[in-house]
Parts: sequence; structure tokens; C-alpha cells
Amino acid sequence: MTTSTPAIEDARGQGTGSWLRDNRTLLLLLPTLGLFLAFLLFPYLNMIVMSFRNPSTSQVFAPGYTVFNYFDAIFDEDLYYLEILWDTMVFGVGTTFLCLIIGYPVAYHLARTKSRFQNLLYAFVLSPLLVGVVVRCYGWIIILANQDGLINSTLRKYGIIESFIPLMYNTFGVGLGLVHIFLPFMILPLLGAIQSIDPALEEASQSLGASRTKTMIRVVFPLSLPGVQAGTVLVFVLTISSYVIPILLGGLNVMIMPTLVVQQLLDAMLWPFGAALAFILSVTGGLAVYFYLKFTSHFMKGIA
Amino acid sequence: MTKLTINGLVKRFGDVVAVDAIHLEIDDHELVSLLGPSGCGKTTTLRCIAGFETPTAGNILFDANDVVGLDPEKRNIGMVFQNYALFPHMTVHQNLAFGLEMRGVAKTTMDERIAKVLETVQLRGLGDRYPNQLSGGQQQRVALGRALVIEPNVLLLDEPLANLDAKLREEMRFFIRHLQKRVGITTVYVTHDQAEAMVISDRIVVMFDGHIHQIGGPKDIYSRPVSREVADFIGLSNFIAARVAGKDGDGGYVLDSPLGQLRCDYADSLDDGQAVTIMVRPEAIRLEPAKPAAGTSNAIPGTVLERFFLGNIQGYRVTCEDDVMLQVQAEPWTEFSVGDSLWCVFDVERTWIIRD
Repeated sequence: MTTSTPAIEDARGQGTGSWLRDNRTLLLLLPTLGLFLAFLLFPYLNMIVMSFRNPSTSQVFAPGYTVFNYFDAIFDEDLYYLEILWDTMVFGVGTTFLCLIIGYPVAYHLARTKSRFQNLLYAFVLSPLLVGVVVRCYGWIIILANQDGLINSTLRKYGIIESFIPLMYNTFGVGLGLVHIFLPFMILPLLGAIQSIDPALEEASQSLGASRTKTMIRVVFPLSLPGVQAGTVLVFVLTISSYVIPILLGGLNVMIMPTLVVQQLLDAMLWPFGAALAFILSVTGGLAVYFYLKFTSHFMKGIA
Repeated sequence: MTKLTINGLVKRFGDVVAVDAIHLEIDDHELVSLLGPSGCGKTTTLRCIAGFETPTAGNILFDANDVVGLDPEKRNIGMVFQNYALFPHMTVHQNLAFGLEMRGVAKTTMDERIAKVLETVQLRGLGDRYPNQLSGGQQQRVALGRALVIEPNVLLLDEPLANLDAKLREEMRFFIRHLQKRVGITTVYVTHDQAEAMVISDRIVVMFDGHIHQIGGPKDIYSRPVSREVADFIGLSNFIAARVAGKDGDGGYVLDSPLGQLRCDYADSLDDGQAVTIMVRPEAIRLEPAKPAAGTSNAIPGTVLERFFLGNIQGYRVTCEDDVMLQVQAEPWTEFSVGDSLWCVFDVERTWIIRD
């Protein structure tokens, strides 16, 4: 035993040799760090730099730097860009709220069911993720299309409606797609949080005279807040940055920040202005999430 | 205060009968434990009383009111759970206030009652702590306080001490015992720990496989078990197969066993020739080097197979005729060695009969 002790210490890298040898577990971070630098941090910095460049009509950007890209976006006379930013945030909050309302009962049921089909139900929740976003959007288009979509043509065939109900290329269509596609991202964190709540707490609440509804409001929901927090942030961030779903189900009728940014970059070729808009979106979203986390953590005292 | 009556309670889960037609009456002020191995139906019985399980058949009466079908929140019960089930997002004070809020108690009355209960469970000054800032014993007392502050009809405890360490567990037994006597509340206490049940209970209900085998005080259960399971579950026992030979003239019986004729005090009537099991507790046996003069004791010759020292007792395993092995707990200063021939002597009145 005595002879093997130094070898063990050495293997742990304690107290011998260089800093790197002492902290060699940090090396495990390298691949991730590399990916982050190459594909997140560097493009971000690049984008920030781009947003301060002078625009050009013939090139991607002209020489020199300016703050007018931001000025134009924020102090536009019609508040056009800020309005779109506002709409984007409303879309984010709305989608998040709907996902929470729809997802919570599903997550609760899934967490508490003793059915032997629990795994199957779990697979149902995950199954939308198995099909690509684009495919699912086209699926919705087949169902929702305004002239000859499944719903409109069926209703017309049976004479229930004369012309057609506008189901897509509007807020409704985009909202439907967003909620449907991001729902699993709400349910999964909620499921984890609710599963970690001891069912005895619900029984304790009932034994103290609380009805099922009161137990839900006073015990289950507050204790599931970490999951609510994670799910809402996830869906919110995904929504305000989503491009494919709004463009396919809303076209250019539903203008939100990502569609606007892509329009500036690809159609107008205004890379610096587009970059500024993208950065404004990032900062606004980031601040919203920051204050939301600060606010909600007030209600999570005592929860590990 | 409430008298609790359980009448023909049956609970099935699919094909499994967890509780099979049990009858039980628990008086005002009484603390009754349900004792048995896991899966014996004791927890299911408790959960039926609480309303978390719906009985397949039978009634549960709080005084004269059948509570079967009533939601748990309408039964006015106080329940303490094995893992305490304190609300982690509420302070001690908020935990205690929860049940009172549900009953619409006014704020000032509520604070008074909480202060009083905190005093009772010796947690004064800890009202602002969160459960994760308390020790296991303190959490346990918060759980008790939370169940008592609502002044329930019945107090239900589900293995409340199982998660505490041994020392604290013994202290808490007395704490709960005193508390229950002071408050005077009808209490049902579920445990698989026989020592806990014996310390704490007025009466013990011993359950196996959904059936009640015996109801009685700690001494009854220990000295006069009605079934081999009960004798086996509570303490250590020696069993000797025997057959009734006849009355002994002193109101007891003479029995034929492979170890010779043994006598036993037993009041119930037995038929001659009936097969029974004789039970002797290890501490009832004295070891003697020579055969004692015939008197009021039984004596069996044997050889020491093993000895072990437990501090408060000197344990022996003694082999007798017919491969019968007797466990003996002698006084710690007895000094027999392995291989010694000796006599196992036990009083007729400490010899008990279990009917097979």
C-alpha cells in the first residue's frame, strides 16, 4: 500500500510538475472550446464589427466605420424596425406562453403516469423532433393553405364556407407552426422538473386540506419553476431567432426580426445594416432573458 | 377527539390483495402501531385511512362518520411522511401556515397557533428557516408540527423515524410518545421496527400478508404471540415441535417433544395429541452445569456449539438432541466454553404454546 500511494497521487496529478499536469482535466474542454471559438464567438465578433462598417452599393461594405447603422434602425421616423422588434418579442412571449399552457399538463401527466405506455407517450412527445423543420412546415402548408389546403377545401366541399378562411401567411399560421415545433423544448425540461418533485409533497398538501387545484397552484407549480424557467427561456430564444417557420408559413406578410435581417442581407445586400439589426435582436433577447431569470429566481428560494 | 373504526377493510391492487378484511378499533387518545414486514399491508391500511387509496370494500369510520369516498383534504387528518414531505419552497412558518390557510384561519389566530406548536415541537426561533437549512431531526419535528397545528381528528405517521440515525431515532420515539400523550390525539403509527413499536404504542397490531395476526400491548405480543410469524418477527425465539400429552394438574399442559416431556402454562384448551409448537425466548433460558431438581422448570440437556459476547448479554448456541438448536441469551458473566455439556433450564411459565 505504502509504495503505491505516490503512484496514485501522480495519476491524479496532484502537487507534481506543471500547472497543466495538475489541471489536465481542463484539456477535456478543448474540443468544445475550439468549436465555440470557431463557430460562435468568431462569427459574433465578425458580425459586431460588420455592424459598424460603412454601407456600400457595389460591395459588401465600404471602408471606414460608422454608428449610423444603429442610428437608422433605432431612430427610424416610422419606428418601422422597432415595431418589428416589438412584434418579434410579442411572438416570442406568445409562443412561449402557449407552449407552457399546452405543455404543462402533458409534462405533468407524463411525469406522474404509472401506465406501461409511458415510454410510448414519451416517444410521442419526442417524435416531432425526428422530422426536419422544413418538412413539418410543408406538412402544415398542405393542411392550412388558403385556397386549396386540406381544411379550406374540405369546408368548401361541404358548403360550410363560401370563399376561404385565411389560415396561413398570417400571424395565426406562423404562431401555430412555432407552437407545434417548439412544444417538445418546453415539455422536456418541465418533465424533468416535475419528475423530481416527490409525489409525497402532493399528498402532504392534500392531507393539510388543499384540493387538487390548490395543490397544483401552491405546491407543484412553484416547485417546477426551474423547469418552467428552462423551458420558457428555450422556447423564447428559439422563437425570436427562428427564420424557417415564419418564412414558410408567413411569407413576407409576417415580418419579424430574423426575416427582416435576411431580407437586408440577401435582398438589399445591406450587410452592415443587417448586422446591426441582428445585433439589436441579440442584445434585446439577451436582456429580456437576463431580467426574466433575475425575476423568476426570486420565486425559487429553498428549491435546490 | 375521534374514535377510529376500521370495518372489514379490503384493498386489492389487480390480483394482489394488499389488505384482506381487517377490523380494528382505535380509541380516543390511543396510539396504535401497525407493525409488520414490508408488503404486509400496513402502509396501504394507513393510506386508506388518509384517503390516498380507495378501499375495495369495507368502512373507515371517524366516530360515526364513514370517510370512505371522502377526498383526503376533507378528512381533517394530520399526516407525517417517511421523508417528511416538507414543502422545500416554504419556510418552516409557511409550512406550518399551509394547513391553516386552507382552513381560512385568520392571520392573528394563525400566528398564535403556529407559535404555540413551534414551542411544542421545540423549534422556537426557527420559523424563518427553509427545510434544507434544518437537520433531519428538526425537519422531523417540523413535519410533526405541521400535522398537529391543524388540530386533526386523527394523526397518521408513516415510518416517521426511518430516515433518522439510530441515536436520534431512539430520542424521537420518546418525543413522539410524550407529544401524543400531551395532545391526546388518536394516532396510527406505521413501522417495521419492533423496538420502535414497543416503546411508542399503547397497542400493537401485527400484520402479515394483509391479515392482522395479533392485536395487543407490547408485553402480550412479545410473551404470548398467537402465531409463529408473530413470534419470529418480534424478537428471537426458539421453537420446539411438540404434541399435547395431557393436563399437568396445575392448569397447564404436559407436552411430548423430541427433547423429552416439557410443561407449559397455557390457559386455552388443547386436545390430547394435538400438534403444537413450543416457544421459548432466548433470555428465558438459564444454563446450568447439572440437572436441577424437578420443580417448576423444564430442563433440556445440550452441548455448547458457539458462544458470542454482545456486551449486555453472553450469547450461546446450544445443540440438543434430535438436531434441535437453542439460542440462549445468558447474563454477560456466565462462562461456559464451546463443547461444554450443560442443561438449558426455563420456567414453565416462560414456556409458551403456539397452535399450528
